[in-house]
Amino acid sequence: MNKSTYLHLSFARIAAITGNTFTELTRLKTFYVILLFSLLLIGNSVFMAQLTFQQEFQVLKDISLGSISIFSSLLAVVSTARLLPQDLEDRTIYTILAKPVARLEYLLGKLGGVLLLLAVSMIIMSLLFLFVLHLREEIVLRETMRQMSSAPPEQLAEAVRVVRDAGASVNLYPGIGIIYLKACLLAALTLFVSTFATTTIFTTIVMVFVYLIGHLQSIAREYWLQTNGIGWFSQAFLAFVTSFFPDLQLFNLIDDIVVGNVIPPTLLMKTVILGFFYTSFYLLLAWTVFYRREL
Amino acid sequence: MIDPAVAVTGATKIFSTPWRRRSVVAVRELNLKVSAGQIYGLLGPNGSGKSTTLKIILGLISPTKGRVKIFGRDSRETISREGVGFLPENPYFYKYLTGSETLRFYGKLCGMQGARLASRVDELLELVGLTSAGDRRLSGYSKGMLQRIGLAQAIVQEPKLVVLDEPTAGVDPAGAREIRDLILSLKQRGITVLLSSHLLEQVQEICDRVGILANGTLVREGGLQDLLAIENRTDLVFENASPQLLSEIESLATQSGARLIEQSRSRTSLERLFLDVTQSRSEHRSKSPHE
Repeated sequence: MNKSTYLHLSFARIAAITGNTFTELTRLKTFYVILLFSLLLIGNSVFMAQLTFQQEFQVLKDISLGSISIFSSLLAVVSTARLLPQDLEDRTIYTILAKPVARLEYLLGKLGGVLLLLAVSMIIMSLLFLFVLHLREEIVLRETMRQMSSAPPEQLAEAVRVVRDAGASVNLYPGIGIIYLKACLLAALTLFVSTFATTTIFTTIVMVFVYLIGHLQSIAREYWLQTNGIGWFSQAFLAFVTSFFPDLQLFNLIDDIVVGNVIPPTLLMKTVILGFFYTSFYLLLAWTVFYRREL
Repeated sequence: MIDPAVAVTGATKIFSTPWRRRSVVAVRELNLKVSAGQIYGLLGPNGSGKSTTLKIILGLISPTKGRVKIFGRDSRETISREGVGFLPENPYFYKYLTGSETLRFYGKLCGMQGARLASRVDELLELVGLTSAGDRRLSGYSKGMLQRIGLAQAIVQEPKLVVLDEPTAGVDPAGAREIRDLILSLKQRGITVLLSSHLLEQVQEICDRVGILANGTLVREGGLQDLLAIENRTDLVFENASPQLLSEIESLATQSGARLIEQSRSRTSLERLFLDVTQSRSEHRSKSPHE
């Protein structure tokens, strides 16, 4: 194919496909069902622990961030898996690619629509989570101040600080960002699988296995290295597995955030770079397959 | 020298089955040239390779052998499709979009925007007779309306070439006639039309040139009048001819060594009859609403 085919990408065309894909996905009942379940879970997490306020905040964060992570991953897979097979089945892909639209633009537009949907749903879920957490924090603060009304000011300030530290903190935002990156990665990987799959169900099943392998591979890797040592074969094999099955455990920073640990900037940076790398890598793979696919 | 709208040279398409155990030759050594401004009809029974040929021309699939050019550019180049519109067979567009939104979406894909796109959308809706249905979602469109909006999206960027795969498939005769008239109006605007069909009567009515495919091979190709003319036969059509005149003509012909093969009353086509009857019925109804 001519160089100009893929060098002159048009932002307007990609934006048109992104907008249309976003509209398409927001018309799906699946989106609202998934969003509703996650919001219910986040909303209900407030009733799940009533021991100390630290434990309550921990459980609230744990359940809410876990819900955001699982539901955003689910949404990424379910919404991306149907895009290409549906367009092929309805033949709408012919009308789009018969226009001066490069296949990479089509893929970027489709992925863009999913990422936009994920961003919107994550904002909604995160706002509810932060609202619930803030609400509980204010109630605990009011209760603490009422109970310690006669305590010296230094003691009261310390108690307030402890409550504030256990509640909403800026440390939550990078954690939410990493969850979003993980969902983006899964969307790109699902798009890649759908470029050679023929049905939505096949893509979804493959992605369920990839998701499980992605979360379990770090354990398997450790076991492998313990039993086989670090030879060149082991390294090559592990590099291959890690390329095609991303180590999703690396994106699991929730546990640290929940207990109030600050994520080191270097770890955050590494995770962000890894997320971008994987997303771009799978998009590139998707394009490589889709570029040659006979429609 | 002006480049032809479509030039297919020695195109062969072989589809391999999974694991390459068998292969199917869909198109074999195809040579085809569509001149600018023509309506070219690609005929053939089901499975003859018509749709594959159109897909090769549009760059949706690559030929195993040979090459295809659209106005001098390789059809696999994205840029070659700047001046091309396509309506696939039985298309389903995005059902959640309205007619106007659909045209806006395809217009944007062609780099159109703003006031130019808005006025083009209105113009196209009027052209295909869907102005009043422009704000309705496509899920509520009839088959004929979908074909018309499909045709409108195919010409949204005012292309030089429009490719239509079975444009009247599944459409009733009135709808088919409207689409036929639209295709003729495209020709009047100087747009080249390449269409595939197995409805021979319609192709005969509108095409300047036809190619007949069978088993992936182009078996006949040429100007419609040339292909249909029977060299040693002549038709004469009279109005108000008496039986005596006809008998005199017959004896004259016999004397000169010619042979009268057929003498019959002129007939209208079934399509014409259908349209006359249904249109007069609907006109009658609209005049007497209380009926």
